[in-house]
Amino acid sequence: MNLERLPNEEKLSLCRKYYLGGFAFLPFLWLVNVVWFFREAFLKPSYTEQLQIKAYVKRSALGLLLWVAVLTTWITIYQHFRAEWGEVGDYLSFTIPLGIP
Amino acid sequence: MNASDSDEDIYNERSALVRSESPALPSYIPDSDLTPPNGTPTKRLKAGISRRPGAAAADGGGSDPEVEAEEEELTLKYGAKHVIMLFIPVTLCMVVVVATIKSVSFYTEKTDQQLIYTPFTENTSSVGRRLLNSVLNTIIMISVIVVMTIFLVVLYKYRCYKFIHGWLILSSLMLLFWFSFMYLGEVFKTYNLAMDYPTVGVIIWNFGAVGMICIHWKGPLQLQQAYLILISALMALVFIKYLPEWSAWVILGAISVYDLVAVLSPKGPLRMLVETAQERNEPIFPALIYSSAMVWTVGMASPNETQRSEPDEEAEQSDGRAEPPSRHSRLLPEDEMEEDRGVKLGLGDFIFYSVLVGKAAATGGDWNTTLACFVAILIGLCLTLLLLAIFKKALPALPISITFGLVFYFSTDFLVQPFMDNLAAHQFYI
Repeated sequence: MNLERLPNEEKLSLCRKYYLGGFAFLPFLWLVNVVWFFREAFLKPSYTEQLQIKAYVKRSALGLLLWVAVLTTWITIYQHFRAEWGEVGDYLSFTIPLGIP
Repeated sequence: MNASDSDEDIYNERSALVRSESPALPSYIPDSDLTPPNGTPTKRLKAGISRRPGAAAADGGGSDPEVEAEEEELTLKYGAKHVIMLFIPVTLCMVVVVATIKSVSFYTEKTDQQLIYTPFTENTSSVGRRLLNSVLNTIIMISVIVVMTIFLVVLYKYRCYKFIHGWLILSSLMLLFWFSFMYLGEVFKTYNLAMDYPTVGVIIWNFGAVGMICIHWKGPLQLQQAYLILISALMALVFIKYLPEWSAWVILGAISVYDLVAVLSPKGPLRMLVETAQERNEPIFPALIYSSAMVWTVGMASPNETQRSEPDEEAEQSDGRAEPPSRHSRLLPEDEMEEDRGVKLGLGDFIFYSVLVGKAAATGGDWNTTLACFVAILIGLCLTLLLLAIFKKALPALPISITFGLVFYFSTDFLVQPFMDNLAAHQFYI
């Protein structure tokens, strides 16, 4: 799918759908949105829909940052305290490393 | 992991789809409705130029040898570019598979679990028995593939598109979620990392959902290509794990032969699929093929998009339908922009190439064998694309590459390797 060849309304619609889709716990979708539409939103000469696309890209970036913060925090907490949590830690674990640290 | 039937289904669908996948012939290009009727001089088709009806008609009139030579040159030049465009994804796929095989031991562990399509075990006492079992396994596997292919062609003929799409979606769902979940688990176990369910859930959910969106709907081209490469690699890894040793090699050989027959013989299912699609003026399952460039037609944005977004797992599954590139001749005055269709290669080809190289990495002596197979496959791909540029019709991409790969594997493993080892042992440099 090449953005160059889409009419502007369709670009806007696509950007919007990606933005809305990201709310289903899909920060990756927001990342794709930001990267893919970045040039369209900020580096192209302006056209009517560009303002809205810019808004969507900015909001996607915001959502992405939020998710990254939350995930990083959680992963840090988990990795640090997993051993101490005992049973709860094991219950949460998908893989448990073997051996003695 | 239990090798459940669903794995089989995936395989079947994929390989079956592969079979049924038929590449579009040059005249079959999406905007074929623009093309003039068959009366068009073959010279235009020969040069592989995409259609612009008015210009084509005008072009067809004056058959200038100079013009023709220039067009041929253009075709060859772009043919070379397309070879490179295919080398990269094929290489990437093989690299992913080999890297996984070499690092994650799960995929090379001996397991007694086998797919139900290869029911005969290879843990037999005698060599003859083992050989017989592997041949029987191959026969079963190939017949399953043939049946699935014919089923697919029948479905396509009777326009059961919903069924096909549903099948494809189910199969890619399985690959994107279940197999990647397993893969991630094994990678974490190999590197002895702790990982919790919530994080894994988020990762797999994101990977799978964005994958489904990119492959079956609309997404950035590079991301779609990346996903196609990844799912081919995952599929290849499953095969490497669950196909018994000798059966795998015999299956590879048999599939190349089947591919040749199915695509080139007049009654082959894949050929019938191509012809049916041609009659209906439809693209053949575009989503299941790896495409190296965007197809677009000047002034016809929508047909392109709909065809792009058609879920075509089957097409992807199809092995080796490389579509010839069509290029706008710059001699046509009204064509300002280039239409570079790129070359398409079925996902099944990716899978079987990677199976060959992965098996070589898993069971071969050392890196010599792996590299030899890798080079052999690329050479085969090159030759296939060359033939494609010459014949300009759908060709099977498996036979040449797999043949070279098999030859190189066995000769390297049994001849070159011991030779090199001996030389090294005796410190004899040549």
